[in-house]
Amino acid sequence: MRLLRIAKEGARALAASKLRTFFMMAGTIVGIAALTVIMAVGKGTEKKVMKRVNAFGTRAIMVTAGGGKGFSPPQEGITTLRLEDAEAVRTQIGGVDVVGSFAVKRGMSIKAGVNQVQITVMAVAPEWHDAWEWYAADGEPITAEDNITMARVCLLGTLSASDLFGSQNPIGEDIQIGNARFRVKGILELRGTSPTGEEFDRRIVIPLTTGMRRVFNQDYITNIRVKVRDSRQIESIAEEIRQFLHERHHITPPKEDDFAIFSAADIAKIARGISGTLTYLLGALAGLSLLVGGIVLMNILLISVGERIKEIGLRRALGATRRDVFMQFLTESLTVTISGMVLGSVLGWVVSIILARVTQFPVVISWEPFALALGFAMIVGVFFGVQPARRAARLKPVEALR
Amino acid sequence: MRPKMIELEGIEKTYTSGSIQTPVLKGISFRIEAGEFIAIMGASGTGKSTLMNILGCLDKPTAGHYRLDGTDMVRLEDDALSRLRNCKIGFVFQQFHLLDRASALRNVMLPLIYTDPYPEDADARAEKTLTAVGLSDRMTYKPSQLSGGQQQRVAIARALVTDPVVILADEPTGNLDIRSGLEVLAIFQRLHRDGRTIIVVTHDRAVAEHANRIIVLKDGMVAEDQPLAHPRDADAEARVLAGKETSK
Repeated sequence: MRLLRIAKEGARALAASKLRTFFMMAGTIVGIAALTVIMAVGKGTEKKVMKRVNAFGTRAIMVTAGGGKGFSPPQEGITTLRLEDAEAVRTQIGGVDVVGSFAVKRGMSIKAGVNQVQITVMAVAPEWHDAWEWYAADGEPITAEDNITMARVCLLGTLSASDLFGSQNPIGEDIQIGNARFRVKGILELRGTSPTGEEFDRRIVIPLTTGMRRVFNQDYITNIRVKVRDSRQIESIAEEIRQFLHERHHITPPKEDDFAIFSAADIAKIARGISGTLTYLLGALAGLSLLVGGIVLMNILLISVGERIKEIGLRRALGATRRDVFMQFLTESLTVTISGMVLGSVLGWVVSIILARVTQFPVVISWEPFALALGFAMIVGVFFGVQPARRAARLKPVEALR
Repeated sequence: MRPKMIELEGIEKTYTSGSIQTPVLKGISFRIEAGEFIAIMGASGTGKSTLMNILGCLDKPTAGHYRLDGTDMVRLEDDALSRLRNCKIGFVFQQFHLLDRASALRNVMLPLIYTDPYPEDADARAEKTLTAVGLSDRMTYKPSQLSGGQQQRVAIARALVTDPVVILADEPTGNLDIRSGLEVLAIFQRLHRDGRTIIVVTHDRAVAEHANRIIVLKDGMVAEDQPLAHPRDADAEARVLAGKETSK
């Protein structure tokens, strides 16, 4: 094929001046390497974010008693968050699907036979299961009736179950929470680690009323878990709830909030952390490298056209058409950027892997950056190659040979 | 009657620079038969190079007709001219114009890159023409590893590889010493004996006298067009030159 023969001529010219070819390539290498790292870090971060958000619940908003800037477990001893607040949120805020209130107490002493452990106990409203989308894997969930009758029943997280009962089936067995006996009515589904690093599966769940009156002896709750209908509205609903609770709790600046609100969107922001900044920086580097590299490439090619006027004239005399000359220089440009892309991708992968090892940054190596890089390389190659190629093709053979 | 290999009819070329018009060729007509060995002579400034460019289909005349092997190039588009140069003309330049980075063999194969369809026996053809100019043992050499005379022989092989209808040589001995120049002229004379059509453009009468017909240009017109009954014999001259050098 004629085009292939001409492309080979271009490749030979590049091979003949390796240092120059390297300079032409440098920008593409750096740009594509940066792009590859961005993609690897970006994908890794998204994976981490998705994991965190999924663990939190994609449609979830959590109201936690106590102020504080960071997302943290409820502060004990804050008494201002009430069941009435939860009920008001459920009835007066639009777009809310489920509201599940609960109260938490950490490190409660639990006994089952001879085994005794310190475990977090959660006293939950019946809607809590739906609000968390967290149900009984085995046995029965906490029901409305349990709450009405203040039943002494509980569900165990899988780790709590193994802590207390080993491999024995705990359903139907009794445990002692503080001084009260509870019947184990079910085992919770496996949930993993919370966004704050707590073991979700090392917990015990009891009815809210039972917890408040019989175990914790308190008239306040620690959390309101809200599930919205549409995850896209999560930020606006969270803000609405914040305003709503400000009013209910009569909070005006400079008085500090006595509650904190975290939504799935906040969790995503926290999980992204500095990787967003890193992405912008590397993105700027990639863009700049490709642009500057492209300009360098174009200028070296223009110089090359100038130096090879005689060669171009000769080729034209020997039968090359304008298109042949154009294609030769364009393929030179494309060969440079595509080779640069391959080297840049490899460099990017190496950097990503080192980054993952050294900084524990989440990194995902995939084929997408390669495809994107190929696209960029071709765009840069064509964009910055056309001008020199056109100049070469426009040369008149008579003048070029002189 | 068999059509002439080359027919020039009232070729004019005028260069325009702003409002200034400079006529360089002022109506040149001649015919060249297949198998002729022609020298076109003229001092510098007589339009020799301009005529050479037109003969080589590198430039179009302002007026007139130029038929090469039956095709009037004046009406052709740029791409068609490229094809015409590729198939029908073999160029030999004063400066050799070889690619420095390519071997002799690759230099010879260069025109074939632009030939459609690409000949399957391109390598063999290039080797054959290189052998024909006496460089069978230099095929892998780069131009920088060859003498001037050898470089020009590579260029001649390159001109021959497409089996063109005419070889067009522009001052082919201009950059060579006497002995290498004679070698090149001897090759042209041998090609002529084999039936090739050759046009040499030169300012040097001693070079021109190796041809069988001399066309002299003067002031953009044909001043003289004479057959040469007894051209010089480059081989014989080379032998005499070698004899002188050994007797020294």
